[in-house]
Amino acid sequence: MSIFANQETRIVVQGMTGKEGGFWTRHMLDMGARVVAGVTPGKEGQTVHDVPIFHSVRRATAAHPADAAVLFVPPRFTRDAVYEALDAGIRKIVTLADGIPLQDQVQIRRTALEMQARVVGGNTSGVISPGKSMLGMFPYWIERVYKPGSIGVMTRSGSLTNEVTSMVVRAGYGVSTLIGVGGDQVPLSRFAEFLPEYQNDPHTEAVLIIGELGGTMEEEVAAAIRDGLFRKPLVAFIGGRTAPAGTRMGHAGAIVTGGTGSVRDKVDALEAAGARVADRPSAVGTLLQRAFQEAETQ
Amino acid sequence: MKLFEYQGKEVFARAGIPVPESRLVTCAEREHDRIAAEAAEAAHELGGRERQTVVVKAQLDMGGRGKAGLIRMAADQGEAAAVSREILAKGYRIPALLVERAVNIERELYLSLSVDPQRACFVFLASAEGGVDIESLARERPDAIRRVSIDPFRGLQAFQGRALAYDLGLRDSAIGSFTALVNALYAVFRNSDAELAEINPLFLTADGELIAGDSKLIIDDNSLYRQSGFELTREQFDSDIAYAAALDGIPYVQFDGEISLMCAGAGLATTVFDLVNFGGGSVANYLEFGGPNYHKAQRAMELCLRNRSAVILIVTFGTIARADVMAQGIVDAIAALKPDRPVVTCIRGTNEERAHETLRSAGLEPLLDTEEAVRRAIDLAAQNRGRTS
Repeated sequence: MSIFANQETRIVVQGMTGKEGGFWTRHMLDMGARVVAGVTPGKEGQTVHDVPIFHSVRRATAAHPADAAVLFVPPRFTRDAVYEALDAGIRKIVTLADGIPLQDQVQIRRTALEMQARVVGGNTSGVISPGKSMLGMFPYWIERVYKPGSIGVMTRSGSLTNEVTSMVVRAGYGVSTLIGVGGDQVPLSRFAEFLPEYQNDPHTEAVLIIGELGGTMEEEVAAAIRDGLFRKPLVAFIGGRTAPAGTRMGHAGAIVTGGTGSVRDKVDALEAAGARVADRPSAVGTLLQRAFQEAETQ
Repeated sequence: MKLFEYQGKEVFARAGIPVPESRLVTCAEREHDRIAAEAAEAAHELGGRERQTVVVKAQLDMGGRGKAGLIRMAADQGEAAAVSREILAKGYRIPALLVERAVNIERELYLSLSVDPQRACFVFLASAEGGVDIESLARERPDAIRRVSIDPFRGLQAFQGRALAYDLGLRDSAIGSFTALVNALYAVFRNSDAELAEINPLFLTADGELIAGDSKLIIDDNSLYRQSGFELTREQFDSDIAYAAALDGIPYVQFDGEISLMCAGAGLATTVFDLVNFGGGSVANYLEFGGPNYHKAQRAMELCLRNRSAVILIVTFGTIARADVMAQGIVDAIAALKPDRPVVTCIRGTNEERAHETLRSAGLEPLLDTEEAVRRAIDLAAQNRGRTS
C-alpha cells in the first residue's frame, strides 16, 4: 500500500512537451506509473511516449479521467496551472518548480485548503511510491537509494533526500511513499497534514521526516503525535544545527526568524513527543531499528 | 532582497506613509571629510531657521544599530559632522548615512505585515510597545502583540484596520491616520511582493501624526521578475565574492574557516555544513551549485578559489543535477584553474558510474560516503594549514 499515489492513480502531466516534462514522463512510465494524458496549450494532437497531449486539463480529463496532476510548469505560471487542474476536478496536485512567488503560494494554499485538495510542492522532487507510482523526479533506478518498503518519508529537500534514503536502504528498509513537501517558505502542503494518512496505511510501519531549520512544520509533527493523530514510530533528521541565526543559507524556508525555527526547538518538541531525532543522515538507520525494537517490546 | 532603511522609506513615502524629511549622504572609503561636510550641510537644510535637531543613521543591514552607536542625534551642523565621523570610525562597511529631521515623539508603536505559511494568509502584527526587539517581546509578553489575519483574496477590510487602532489604545484624533497607514502598508506589501513590511518604531507625535521611524522591507526573491526598481547592488553583500556569486545566481555565504563547500542541493549543503562543524573543521564558504546551476562547476570553483581556504569539498547527490555533468565540469575546472589546494569529491546520483570514471581518469578519488568525504577534507585542511597561513 501507499498514500497519495499507487499503481491505480491516473496521472495528467502538465507541461509534458517540455524537456524535463518529457524526460521524466518516460521515467514515470518506466516505473509503472499510470500517466494517462499530457497538457500543453497549443499542442493537442501530439503524443509524447505514446501519451496523448491536450490543450487544457479539462479537455484531457474529458477523454481520460484522472485523479492526479504533476506540473512541469515554470514558477511564474504555476498558480494558473494549479487552478486549472483544480477547475478540472483534480484534487491531488504536485508542483515541482523552484521559484514560485511567495504571495502566489499563499493564494494557492488558501485555495487548496478551501477546496480540500492536496497540492504538494513547490521546490520539490515530487512524490514517489517506489515500484508503484511517481509524480516527479527521483533516481528510483539506483538500488542503493530507492527500494519499496515500509517507511513513509516526508522531506523538505531533494539531494539530501537521496542521501538519507540511501541510509534507509543501507539499514535494510525501503520506502512506502515519499512526499517532498519542498524547501519553500510556504509549502503548499505541510508535514503534519499527511500523518493521518500514513497512520491509516497498513503498509507504512514508521515515518521518517527529513526536516531542517526554519518554519514550524517539525513542531506541528510533534503536536500531531501528542494529539494521538499519529501513533507509529517516527524518526526525524533535522539539518542546520550549526547554521548561524538570521542567515539564509539554503532553501528559502531555511531561516530562523521571528524567534521561531531553531533546530534546538524542533528537536526538543519532537523528542518530548516521543520521536527520535538523528543529528546526521548516517544515524537514521540505527534510530529506525531502535524504534522498531521498542515498538515490538511494548 | 532586503532593502536598506532609506530604500524602504522611499517606497513607503511613494505609498503615502509619512516618513521624516531627510537627506542621503552616500559613503565611500577614505572620504570622511566629504561625508562629514555633506552631513553638516544636510543638517543645516533640515534644521531650518528653528535649528531643529537631526538624526544621523548609518545605512547597513544590522540589528541593534542604536546600541552600536550607529544612530546618533545632532543638535547642529558641527555635531552632525562630528557624529558622522564617529559613525564612520567604527569600521563598519556603511554604504550611506541617512540624515533625518528629528521627530517630536509621544509614543512608539510597532506595525508589520508578513505571511502566515500554515494558515495561508497575510498577517498584521501591531503593538503599543514599539521600538523594542519584537522577537523578545513575542517571547516574553505575547499578549502585548495584536494579530490580525488578512484573507489573501478578500484583502484588507476597513474594520480590521480599525480593530488594530482601537486595540492599540490610540486616541480618536489618531484613528483615521492609523487606518490610512495600515491601508498604505498593505498596498506596499502587495504591490511590491514583499515577504515582510515592518515599521518599528512607528512614531506617534503629540499632534496625533504617525511617522515611520524605520523601515524593514524584504522583497520576495522569487517575485523580482515581476517587480521593477529593485536592483542587486554590491552594498547588499558582505564581500565581493558573495556579490559576484549573486550576479551569477549562485547561493554563497562567506565564513572565515578553512574548508570551501561546493555542494549541490540546499538541504545537502546545509547538512555538510553541520558535519564539518561537528567534526571539528571550519567552513570558509557555503556555496550551492545544484538546481539550475549544476553545469556551473567552473564558476563555482573560481569563487571558492578567491577564498583563502585550505581545501575544496564537493558533495552532491543529484537527480536532475546529473552526476556525470557535474564531474566533467569539475575535471574541466581543475584543468583550467589549476587549484592550489586539494579537492575532495563525493559525487553521486543520476549517471554516477560515468561520473566516477571521469573523476578517476583525472586522478581524483570518487568517494561515495558523505561523512568520509567530510573527514578527508578536515584532515587535509589540518595538513595544509601551515602552507596557507
